[in-house]
Amino acid sequence: MASVSIGGGTSNTDEERGLRAWWSRSQRKVVPYVFISPFYILFIVFSVGPLIYALYLSMHRWPGTGSMRHVGLGNYTYLAGDPVFLKSLWNTVYYAIGAFLFILPLALLLALLINSTLIRLKSLFRIGYFLPILTSTVAATLIFLMIFNNQFGLINQGLALLGIPALKWLDEELVKISVLAVATWRYAGINVLYFLTGLQSIPPDLYEAAQVDGAGTWAQFRYVTIPQLRPIALFVGVVTMIGSFQFFAEPLILANGGPNDASLTLANYLYRMGFTHAKLGYGSAIGWVLALIIFGLSFIQLYLFGAFRKDD
Amino acid sequence: MDNTLTRRAQRTIAYGFLFFILISMATPFVWMISNTFKEQYEIFQLRPTLIPEEPHLRNYVRLFAEFDFARHFLNSAFIAVVHTAAHLFLASLAGFAFAKYNFPLKNFLFLVLLGSMMVPLYTIFIPLFVLVIRLGLVNSYAGVIIPGVAGAFGIFFMKQSMEAVPNELLDSARIDGATEFRIYWQIALPLVRPALAVLAVLAFMTSWNDFVWPLVVLRSRELQTLPVVMAGMRNMYRNEHGVVMAASLLSTIPILLLFLVLQRQFLAGLTVGAVKS
Repeated sequence: MASVSIGGGTSNTDEERGLRAWWSRSQRKVVPYVFISPFYILFIVFSVGPLIYALYLSMHRWPGTGSMRHVGLGNYTYLAGDPVFLKSLWNTVYYAIGAFLFILPLALLLALLINSTLIRLKSLFRIGYFLPILTSTVAATLIFLMIFNNQFGLINQGLALLGIPALKWLDEELVKISVLAVATWRYAGINVLYFLTGLQSIPPDLYEAAQVDGAGTWAQFRYVTIPQLRPIALFVGVVTMIGSFQFFAEPLILANGGPNDASLTLANYLYRMGFTHAKLGYGSAIGWVLALIIFGLSFIQLYLFGAFRKDD
Repeated sequence: MDNTLTRRAQRTIAYGFLFFILISMATPFVWMISNTFKEQYEIFQLRPTLIPEEPHLRNYVRLFAEFDFARHFLNSAFIAVVHTAAHLFLASLAGFAFAKYNFPLKNFLFLVLLGSMMVPLYTIFIPLFVLVIRLGLVNSYAGVIIPGVAGAFGIFFMKQSMEAVPNELLDSARIDGATEFRIYWQIALPLVRPALAVLAVLAFMTSWNDFVWPLVVLRSRELQTLPVVMAGMRNMYRNEHGVVMAASLLSTIPILLLFLVLQRQFLAGLTVGAVKS
């Protein structure tokens, strides 16, 4: 790539030898910048630029064509009183909390069971739980759309066998639970793998030492497993939170954000404003609110888990 | 005696729970596969059938005949392959630079790289779309591929494995007069092949399953990828569950096959983030 022969075909002139020597010396100074430049060029053009432009847009009213009208923080103050926005914000928080309460405890429990000495067939469970994440969110949600169907859906037919009357899984009251069910199906397995990685990295002599000290199963769990799982729990927590704050396909395909915006997320509302209603400024303001929430929560989690402490 | 009894009871409960979850996880797959072979009325039937009463392939035939499935499959495949190849090249090249050279601002630039992973997609979504229109990339494969092709995660990942490449090998190649790019391409790259495979399955799967960005960039139907078309089928053919399930199954099969062949790479790729923390 960089092996240009300076001076064309004729070689061996003093001048050229000097240039070659200069080139081979300076090559190592220039080359790393050349090698990393594609990332930084693309990052500036397709991330930093848009991030700043989003902030600029969020202070304007713009339907995508024609002139922009500066509105200052008008879009943000309007957001504060927009009932649909507040609903989507609440739904998004609901999903994030739900993901923490549904997916993470289940994944931790499954990982602990798989890791325990009681169980064989470990890879059957590991791989079996993991398979759903190989599907696209679209395919997964389409499958669940059928499973949640009011009349012939598998879940209601199962409930009927138990004598429980059919539930309307895609109605306002239950639709958020249904979205969480799709997410649990797709993401539980990957979190099992994360927790297993964490469990397997705990040095066995810690348990041996605890046993010598007379610690029972619970005490070992409480004083060895939980503290040792801290780094992995931090990672899993941040990933789950960032992921669940950006649900998009699940509510869209399951219920089109409805009924009555009951499943709408911030990302869905941003898309609706920016692309369906051509309110690019307003949509960008939603985007910045989302960014601030994600930055804030990541920071709080890192802080709570002591990631900023010097001794870690 | 008492101890072995409780242990046996514990084991039974543990297996019972694990198998219960396993069956719950498998059911949607089984239900999807079973319904692709069913006629509409049988799906609607109040007693669900696992084995279709009159299995047939009409849903698949319709998928190809009426929905141009092959075209959308190829769109997805083309985008995923190009994305993967370009991502592997850029990530390994930058990873090599970060692992094997010292240069001013290196630490700062690496910090910027890590920070770039924090930018949420939806925040830049609208301006990115405006930009892609201005660049004339809307409604093109390039518009789908280019913005996300140089992911920071890939660079970070490749840096880790490039660090294991012995410096002596690189230096002896330098003495032989090899250019730095040649050293990367012919010496470093072959040595990190296992890491490249891990990153490849990850990149391929991400691109293949991607939904939101292709949804906004690809306006004309013949360019659209599988997830975009499948999401559209939900609205158009609300009740054609057999066809929709056939599409879901066929769109999942490439990733499942890749997983069967490269299981180790998949598991490593998807948990690599956890290991680093």
